[in-house]
Amino acid sequence: MDWLFRSEFDAITTIALWSIAAVVVTTVVLFVYTLGLRYVTVVSARRRRAFLGNWRDVFSAAALSTEAARRQELPRLRRVDRLDLLEEWSRARSVVDGSAADNLNILAVRAGIPELAAGLFEQRRVQSQIMAVQTFGYLRDASHYGAIAALVESPSTALSITAATSLVEIDPARGVALVVPMIAARRDWPRNRVSILLREAGTDIVSEPMYRTIRSANNKDKTYLLQFARLIESEVRDALVEELIRETNDAAVLTAALKLVSGYRGVPRIASLTQHKAWYVRMQAAKVLGRIGQQEHLAILESLLDDPEWWVRYRAAQSIASLPFLGPNELRRLQGRQTDPFAVDILQQSFAEVGLA
Amino acid sequence: MTLEDFVLGGQWVFLAYFVGINLGYLMQNVVAAIGIRKYLETANQFEAESAFSALDIPISIVVPAYNESASIITSVKALLQLEYPQYELVVVNDGSTDDTLQKLIDAFDMRQFPEAYRGRLQSAEVRNLYRSTKIRNLRVVDKVNGGSKADASNAGINACRYPLVCVVDADGVLQPDSLHRVVRPFLEDPTTVAVGGTVRIANGCTVRQGFLEKVGLPRNFLALVQVVEYLRAFLFGRMGWSPINGLLIISGAFGLFHKETLVEVGGYNPEAVGEDMELVLRLHRIMKEKKRPYRITFVPDPVCWTDAPENLRDLKGQRVRWQHGLGQALMLNKSLIGNREGGAVSWVAVPFYVLFELFGPIVEVAGYFFIILCASMGWLSWPEAGIFLGLAIGLGVLLSTSAIMLEELSFHMFPRTSQLVTLYAVAILENFGFRQLTAFWRLQGLIRWLRGGKHKWETITRSASVVD
Repeated sequence: MDWLFRSEFDAITTIALWSIAAVVVTTVVLFVYTLGLRYVTVVSARRRRAFLGNWRDVFSAAALSTEAARRQELPRLRRVDRLDLLEEWSRARSVVDGSAADNLNILAVRAGIPELAAGLFEQRRVQSQIMAVQTFGYLRDASHYGAIAALVESPSTALSITAATSLVEIDPARGVALVVPMIAARRDWPRNRVSILLREAGTDIVSEPMYRTIRSANNKDKTYLLQFARLIESEVRDALVEELIRETNDAAVLTAALKLVSGYRGVPRIASLTQHKAWYVRMQAAKVLGRIGQQEHLAILESLLDDPEWWVRYRAAQSIASLPFLGPNELRRLQGRQTDPFAVDILQQSFAEVGLA
Repeated sequence: MTLEDFVLGGQWVFLAYFVGINLGYLMQNVVAAIGIRKYLETANQFEAESAFSALDIPISIVVPAYNESASIITSVKALLQLEYPQYELVVVNDGSTDDTLQKLIDAFDMRQFPEAYRGRLQSAEVRNLYRSTKIRNLRVVDKVNGGSKADASNAGINACRYPLVCVVDADGVLQPDSLHRVVRPFLEDPTTVAVGGTVRIANGCTVRQGFLEKVGLPRNFLALVQVVEYLRAFLFGRMGWSPINGLLIISGAFGLFHKETLVEVGGYNPEAVGEDMELVLRLHRIMKEKKRPYRITFVPDPVCWTDAPENLRDLKGQRVRWQHGLGQALMLNKSLIGNREGGAVSWVAVPFYVLFELFGPIVEVAGYFFIILCASMGWLSWPEAGIFLGLAIGLGVLLSTSAIMLEELSFHMFPRTSQLVTLYAVAILENFGFRQLTAFWRLQGLIRWLRGGKHKWETITRSASVVD
């Protein structure tokens, strides 16, 4: 090994030699760290199992009975178990509603969960703040409302959507009024979480702010927001959809609005949209005409069977097959009078789909 | 130029390559570690609710199958049990010469159906379309053999009805919640056009009814080395490129795509040897040509388990094919290189792949001959050579150690501590023989690409412990 310690290596070799030392040290550190992680994981899992063994029954009993939530003796809580308690309580709380939720909130106060959450809220770690904000929401604890409202603007997607959800849980009307106008700007919020938030708030609370927000939005935002319009009251939605279909010629807005048509409002305008230059508008219009199914629309739908776009032909054929006033014989006659091979093919498929082949 | 000048010049080339490739990998490692940490911070938040969402985007799963008679029914049954609210399954029987089609017909009561099939993507002739009378969301496309998985995939995509298309291997083992995991980027960012997930090695694992029951390590050394290789390749190789939108490969074993974009770029290229990489490169190229904002993303979650070759012949075939495919895919999309508006793909990812992944084997194999030459001429300074050899091995081990640490930090799929220790041992041992062997095979692949070789469907022996 003497050669290793000789002094006449050139600069590059010396750097390489030192690099080996650095690489070996880093590798060993990572190796030990990984084994340490494994050790911590094993120990934590064991501790968590013991914790759950003590607390699971407590949560179950509390969820089922207010008396148990108020009076049952709580297991001793070790300092190291506090985060587990918060996590497990949140998990239990997330799957219940009504009186079970109220009972778990009573238990939470007895177990010191609000104080635990307040402690986490003071920390700067995003993960801690998320947990705290979620807990305040479940507890419907309005004492931090202002601070949570400020977090809705957070650049962290997870933190901001959790804050928005909590605000709605704490005070649905106030929360929805604040959150709904922000939805279009926060495209980073997962749509499923936005929809859950709105659903939890209730259609009566969401309808009016959502209607106003969509009416005042630009076309791009209107298109985005319309996907949440299913979560508003049907009369408000029908009025909104009719207004939009009547007023706009924007293909994206029309498509989004047509997907929401449920009644018979504005049918002449919808029928005229089967001639729209955008194929996806024609396709949606064909689908709507099939759903509302009136005799005078059969000719329009038939004319779409040789549309250059496959999806338009397909939806038109499906709509024809679903028209309530056409029996199997009429449908076969209709198929027989088609001369365009595209029309024949697509009718054959659609009829086969409803068992008429 | 004398031989001595050549040797002196050559050693600088090797040094530059050595520094470049290792710095590149270390950078990827750092980016991947940050990315995984960020991903995991929010993963649980998104996970809990997604199961209840009606807004999850419907997915069509395409399963190209060629002579999969032995496993197709188990695979389809497993795919039909995935945890996702709305999806359909399109199995493509690519002119199998065994009874793959008949087995499907019998097991799921498939009936011919007069579907108005649209051939938007090029593929060999479709003979018939079948629909299951038992299972609403199962269809089979029976077609003439097109000679490649790409051709079969295209036929399947033509039959898809939903906005997202997931192409999977018929013999791949999927995680039950894999679709939930890979769909997340599409929900978060509407410009997402493709998402890949981590593929793991199934050898040594126990598979029951098409699902992974128990994670284990293979006894076979070649497969064991590939476990470490896959950890490196996915946990930092791909995760390192994703944050800068520079991901160039989505594994053919499992990838989720926005269907209309996939059709717009022409689907899979049946002539491509590495059709999965070629498609992703083409997506980058065409999106950039059209100046469209887009994201190609990677999620580190393990979503699919696949069999790795356990003998030298299969392994050689795979590595030669991968290198051939890499060269061809880069050449077919060469306009990406140096594209002024190409961003990280054109200026970082593709140049890195060309320099270090494509031409890397030339430098590596030349390096071995160079050492032999210098040693035989008496020009080799053994102490210095030993130092650089030690550094090369050390860096390789460090990268593997880091990948194993990322795995432990994130998904800890290997439950036993002895498995971790085995992986570390393999990370050291792979440097003696395996690495050199793969460099030679990759060089052969490079030569095959330069000579314009062809490729057909390839299968390897299933090695996971299957319990049906």
